[in-house]
Amino acid sequence: MEILQQLTFLERGIAAGLIIGFICPLLGAFLLVRRITIISEALSHITLTGITAGIFLSQGFVFLSFLNPLYTGLFFSLIGSLLVEKLRQIYKNFQELAIPVILSAGIGLSAILISLVNTSYSEWYSYLFGSIVTVSLNDLLFIIITGLLAFLMIVAFYKELLSISFDQEFAKVSGISIRRFNFFFSILIALVISMSMKVVGILLVGAMVTLPIAASIQIAKSFRQVIFWGIVFGEVSMIGGILFSYFFDIATGGMIVVTGIGLLLLTTIIKRSKEYVEHKLSGG
Amino acid sequence: MISVFFQYDFLTYSLYTGLMIGFLAPFIGVFLVVRRLSLISDALSHITLSGVAFSLLLGRYYPFFAGLNPIYMGMAFSVSGALFIDRLRNVYQYYKELAIPIILSAGIGIGVVFISLANGFNNDLFQYLFGSVVAIRQSDFQIVSIITIVVLLLFILFYKEWFYLSFDEEQAVVSGIPRKPLHFLFMIIVALVIAVSMRVVGILLVSSLMTLPVAAALRLAKGFKQMFIYAVIFGEISVIFGLISAFHLDTAPGGTIVIINILILLFAILFSKYRRA
Repeated sequence: MEILQQLTFLERGIAAGLIIGFICPLLGAFLLVRRITIISEALSHITLTGITAGIFLSQGFVFLSFLNPLYTGLFFSLIGSLLVEKLRQIYKNFQELAIPVILSAGIGLSAILISLVNTSYSEWYSYLFGSIVTVSLNDLLFIIITGLLAFLMIVAFYKELLSISFDQEFAKVSGISIRRFNFFFSILIALVISMSMKVVGILLVGAMVTLPIAASIQIAKSFRQVIFWGIVFGEVSMIGGILFSYFFDIATGGMIVVTGIGLLLLTTIIKRSKEYVEHKLSGG
Repeated sequence: MISVFFQYDFLTYSLYTGLMIGFLAPFIGVFLVVRRLSLISDALSHITLSGVAFSLLLGRYYPFFAGLNPIYMGMAFSVSGALFIDRLRNVYQYYKELAIPIILSAGIGIGVVFISLANGFNNDLFQYLFGSVVAIRQSDFQIVSIITIVVLLLFILFYKEWFYLSFDEEQAVVSGIPRKPLHFLFMIIVALVIAVSMRVVGILLVSSLMTLPVAAALRLAKGFKQMFIYAVIFGEISVIFGLISAFHLDTAPGGTIVIINILILLFAILFSKYRRA
């Protein structure tokens, strides 16, 4: 606690960034093999609704003024993840519809709430696109606690997560309750998204979950390597993005994503040239 | 309430533009949903944002671009994004579904960088993100009219082929329908419709006008043709209410349009449950 209080605003931002750069790709690896990477987009958009609702309530009602928008964001993204499951049941033949529906509902509601609340545009932009200079001590604590929680959840249930992600049938037979685990998984995604959004921005959380993993599967040879390289790429794009955005005065979230895209391009080129060389060697 | 829209020129433009979009977006959406491509609209709308931001950035340095409607650059980015998604699907052969989140996040990330380079974090950007009734210019109206006519013509020409491809791709290919060129054409239409819709509905909400009315129509319609009719009716209702409330209550039109669509969707789900029981 003492140490945390002594940090400058930039150090706080970087510390938060490092935690996020570690947790996001870790979760992303599981989302990738379950083929539900896109769910992070839907849930991040519904988190925005939670945040706008939190600001709306705390401004409109005096007795709710203690409300931190981060918590309402977390709450909404939990509800959102349950709604996605429900919608999948309703549209049995068009399960992929659930995500666009939730995504648009989330952003539509927040658009209305934003027009109702009298807050400056710049504050909304920092929620939408991220900013490391606005990370307060409370935010850092929130990020540390939720990050630790998410990390412990993944470590404790690593085996179960792995078996359910790779072979749902097998997991079912060996006595893992799929329904309960899907619920557990939803909580995990909701946690990670609401912890990341302050730094990366709501519209860009999905990128942190997707891009490092997309780069790492280009070069990794096993699931462990996917996680390892994913985390490496996540941290590199975090640090690179923060440094760039600080020195050139560009929005942090955008720079983090652009660094991530750079890494993705780099790994794709490495993979392609490797294949080319191997092809040449085997060809003669 | 609606009479005010005929008193002022700029409101008349936004009303007509809105009505055309309320028709176009759900109409294209039916094919998207049936072909299970509904997520592509999200990816393309986000890449349109990069285009608009790029145009704003260029406008700061080159007077030529300052006079140009950003919608053109948005269209160019959206069309190239549509083509790039197909390339990416080939890169990730085992994880084809990764292409959409990659394009989506790349689009918005690059967009944000352009915007902050152009110092564009202001009121204008909010109109691009969430839509506006007052920002529609005559040139927007003209572009939307042209796109509407082109889309209608193409659909009259190729309705049978697209219908066939959507429901039974294998059979359609066997019977000699050129799948690739038609798919290509379709993706370009989707990209163009998304780009032109963004002015009224907002970049972040375009895709909802393409999917939500169709999702509601899916619950009620008994045939493919009925789906078009229901989807377009729902789309138009939501756009009209969205524009009226945006003008009178000063809310973002995109937000209201989506909320009305969500209400229609909820009603449709409840109604279809009730009908079954």
